[in-house]
Amino acid sequence: MTTTAPLLAARGVSKAFFGNPVLRDVSISLQPGRVHALLGENGAGKSTLINLLSGALRPDGGIIEVDGRAVARMTPALARQAGIAVVQQELSLTASLSIAENIGLGAYPRRFGLVDYQELAARAKAACELVGLNEKLSTPVGQLSLGRRQMVEIAKALYRKPRVLILDEPTSSLSATETRILTDLLERLRSEGTAILYISHRLNEVMALCLHVTVLKDGTCTADRALEGTDASGLVRLMVGRDPGDLFPRWQAPPSPANAISVRGLSAGLMHGVDLDIRTGEVLGIGGLVGQGQEDLLLGLYGAIPARTTSAAVNGAAGLPAGVPKANALGLAYVPADRKREGLHLIHPILTNMMLPAFARLPALKLRSRKAERERGKGLAAQLGIKGDLGRPAQALSGGNQQKVALAKWMPHDPLVLLLNDPTRGVDVETKREIYLMLRGFAAAGKAVVLLSSDTPELVHLCDRVAVVREGRIVTTLERGALSEEAIVSAAMGAEKQKVAA
Amino acid sequence: MSTIPSATPAGALYWPVQARRNIGVRSLFVVVLGFLIAYGVLFPGLFTASGFAKFTQSWFPLALVAMAQAILMLTGGISLAIGATVSLGAVIAATTMAGPLGVAGGAAAVAVTGLGIGAATGFIVVRLRLPAIVVTLAGSFIIGGAALLVLPRPGGSIPEWLSDMLAGNTPAAFVILVLIVALWKLYLATPLGLSLYASGENPVGAYRSGVPVDGARIAAYAISGLLSTGAGLFVAAQTGSGDPVIGTAFTLNSIAAAVLGGIGFLGGQGTMRGALAGSLLLSLMISVMFFLGFTPVAQYVAQGLIIIGAVAIPQFRKVQQ
Repeated sequence: MTTTAPLLAARGVSKAFFGNPVLRDVSISLQPGRVHALLGENGAGKSTLINLLSGALRPDGGIIEVDGRAVARMTPALARQAGIAVVQQELSLTASLSIAENIGLGAYPRRFGLVDYQELAARAKAACELVGLNEKLSTPVGQLSLGRRQMVEIAKALYRKPRVLILDEPTSSLSATETRILTDLLERLRSEGTAILYISHRLNEVMALCLHVTVLKDGTCTADRALEGTDASGLVRLMVGRDPGDLFPRWQAPPSPANAISVRGLSAGLMHGVDLDIRTGEVLGIGGLVGQGQEDLLLGLYGAIPARTTSAAVNGAAGLPAGVPKANALGLAYVPADRKREGLHLIHPILTNMMLPAFARLPALKLRSRKAERERGKGLAAQLGIKGDLGRPAQALSGGNQQKVALAKWMPHDPLVLLLNDPTRGVDVETKREIYLMLRGFAAAGKAVVLLSSDTPELVHLCDRVAVVREGRIVTTLERGALSEEAIVSAAMGAEKQKVAA
Repeated sequence: MSTIPSATPAGALYWPVQARRNIGVRSLFVVVLGFLIAYGVLFPGLFTASGFAKFTQSWFPLALVAMAQAILMLTGGISLAIGATVSLGAVIAATTMAGPLGVAGGAAAVAVTGLGIGAATGFIVVRLRLPAIVVTLAGSFIIGGAALLVLPRPGGSIPEWLSDMLAGNTPAAFVILVLIVALWKLYLATPLGLSLYASGENPVGAYRSGVPVDGARIAAYAISGLLSTGAGLFVAAQTGSGDPVIGTAFTLNSIAAAVLGGIGFLGGQGTMRGALAGSLLLSLMISVMFFLGFTPVAQYVAQGLIIIGAVAIPQFRKVQQ
C-alpha cells in the first residue's frame, strides 16, 4: 500500500505574505493508510502548509497534486470534492444549531430541495458513534463543553467520508479519555486506507500514533522521514535545530515558604468546598481533565466571579478580593487561557497592551507620559524576550509571543501571586522553555505561581505541588516526591485508577 | 451520496430540534399570553370575529417588519431602511393598483421592488463588505426619497374590494400571516435557509464548511425587502391610500420587536418565533396601555422600560446561574 501514488501532495511549494517568506520549497506527500505527523514551532509554517493543501491559499510557487495529478488551481471546493477534510484549530461550529445540523453543515442531504432530516440524523449519528459522542443529536452545540465541541468538529469531518483527513492540534482541548477515543479512531481510519496528517505539540501522541514525520523550521523542511528510530528529544532537536537539553529547568527546593493565599471552604462556579494553601516561592500546579472547574478556582481567587468561603486570607488581608481591582491591589495577577479574547486587545499596539494594567492604576484624569511608557515597554520586552516593534498590533505576534505580552503586562506591578491559566497552550517548544524558566524564576524570587495546565508533563516537571481537580473538588494534592504523570492522570480520572496505573 | 448503515435507528430529528428552539422563548410566550388575557379582559370584543380581525390587522404590519428585521439580524446584519421600504411599498401599491396594472400587476410591482431593493442592499453590504448599519442608513434616505418621488403627498388609492378583504371584517390578515410563517418554516428547512444561522454566527467556519455564506446573506436581504414592501402594501390597503412617510416608525419598532423576541445583535442568535412573539407583545402593549388610559408620552416611556427589562431579565438570570 505504501508504493501507491500519494492521495495528496505538495511539491516544492513556496508562499510569502507581504514579502515575508513563510514557506520555502516545501514538499509533503500523504499516502493512503498512513498517519503523517507535521511538526514545527509556532510560526514555522504549519498552518500555511495546511491552507495550501486544502485550497484556502494558493502557493506562489510549486504544485499541489491530488492522486498524483497536478491541480492547476486548488480551491476549498475542489479540495472537498477530492475528499480532503480539515479539522481546524478554531472551531467552525454554530452554537445555535444542533449537533446534527452542525455536522451536516455545507453538505446536507436533500429531498425535494429541503434538508432531509431523517437521512441527516442517520449519517450524523454514524459519525458521532465513531468519535464517541453520545449526546442527543438535537442538542444545540452551544450547550457543549469545549472538548465535546472539538469532537463534533471531528465528527463533522468524518461525516464527509474523507480520503484525506488533516487535523490541526485536535487534542489541545480534549480530555485524556477523549484523546484515547480519537487515537483509536485514527488508527482505524488509517487501517481503512485514509491518509491522515496530524499536527500536535504533544510529542508522546505523535510518537504513539504516527509512522512518518515532516518537520518544518522557519518555513523550510528539516526532516521528511519515517518516525521509526527517532525519540522525542530527537524530534525536538529537528524542530528547534539544536539540542534542547532539558525542556524544563532544574527543580530546586523552594526557600522557606509562607502562605500567600489560604482559603477554606471555597465555592466558586463549578468548584465547591475547596481548601487550598498557596505558598510563596513555589509553583503550584492545578491539574485534572478539561472542564472540571479548574478555571473557576482561579477566577474565584481573583475575584472575577462570585465566590464564597468559610475563611480566607490573601497576602495578609482577610477574605477574598471582591473584584479584580481589589485583587490587583492585593498583589494578584491573572493571565487567561484565551489570549485572543481575554488576555490581549489584538488590534491595539503591543505597547498599549503591556501598559493596560498600569492605566488602571493611574489617577483617572492624569495625563499619560508616552516617553515613560515606551521606556518601560522596552524594558519589559527585553526582560521577556519579545522581539520587534512594540508599535505593531498585538495580532501580528505569534501565539508564543502573544502569551509573553499577556505575562509582561503584569510585571511592572510585581505581583506576589501569579494565577496562570494554561499559559503554554498552543505555544511552540522554544517559547515554552522560556516561559518555564520565567515561572521558576518568579518562584525563586519569592512569588507564588499557580499554574493551571492541561499538559501533564509540565505539571510533573515544573511544579512543587499539584492539586488535581475532579468534578469541582480538589481530590488530591501531590507533593513533589509523589509527582508522576500516572499519579496525576489516575487522580484526575478517579474511578479508572487501577486501569491507568496498571 | 451513499447511505451509511446505522446500527441503531437515529430516530426523528426535525421535531426535537424544533422543540429545542423553544427553550429560549418560553418565558416570552408566557408574558405574551398574560398580555393577551389582559387585553381580552379589557376588551372582550377580541373574541368576536370582527374584534379578532381588527386586532390581527393592527398587528400584521408590525409582525412582517419584525420578521424582516429578524432575518437580517440572524445573519449578523441590521436594516435602518425598513421604514422607508414600507413607505415605498405603500406608495407603489397606491399608485399602481387602481391604474392599468390592476391589483395583480401592482402587487407584482411591489414584490419586485422589495426583492430588488433588498438584493441590491444585500449585494452592497455582503460583496463590498460594508457595514450594514451605514449602507441601510444611506439606503433609507434613497428609498425614502424614491417614495416621495413616486407620490409627493398622501394620495393614490387602493381598490375598495381589496381594502375590504385585507382590512375589513375578515381574518384574511391572520391567514396570510400563518401562510408566511409556514413559508418561513419551509425556507428554514432548505440548506440555504438553515445556512442563515451559520453564516451569521460563524461566517468563517461556515465558509470553510462549504456553505454559500454570501448567497445566504444576500437572499436574507432580498426576503427582508419583500416582507417590508409587503407590509407597505397592507398599510396602504388599511388606509385606502398611499402616504410617502407612513412607514417611518416601523424601522425602530421592528428592531424593538426583534430584540423583545430575543434576537441578538451579533448574528445567529434567536428564533423567528421569538421575533413574532416580540412583535405581538409590542402590539399588545400599545393596545393595553391605550385601554388603560396612558397618555402617549407615558406609553412611550413604559414601552422603553419594558424593552430594557425584557433584555435585562435573561441577563440577570444568566449571571445568577
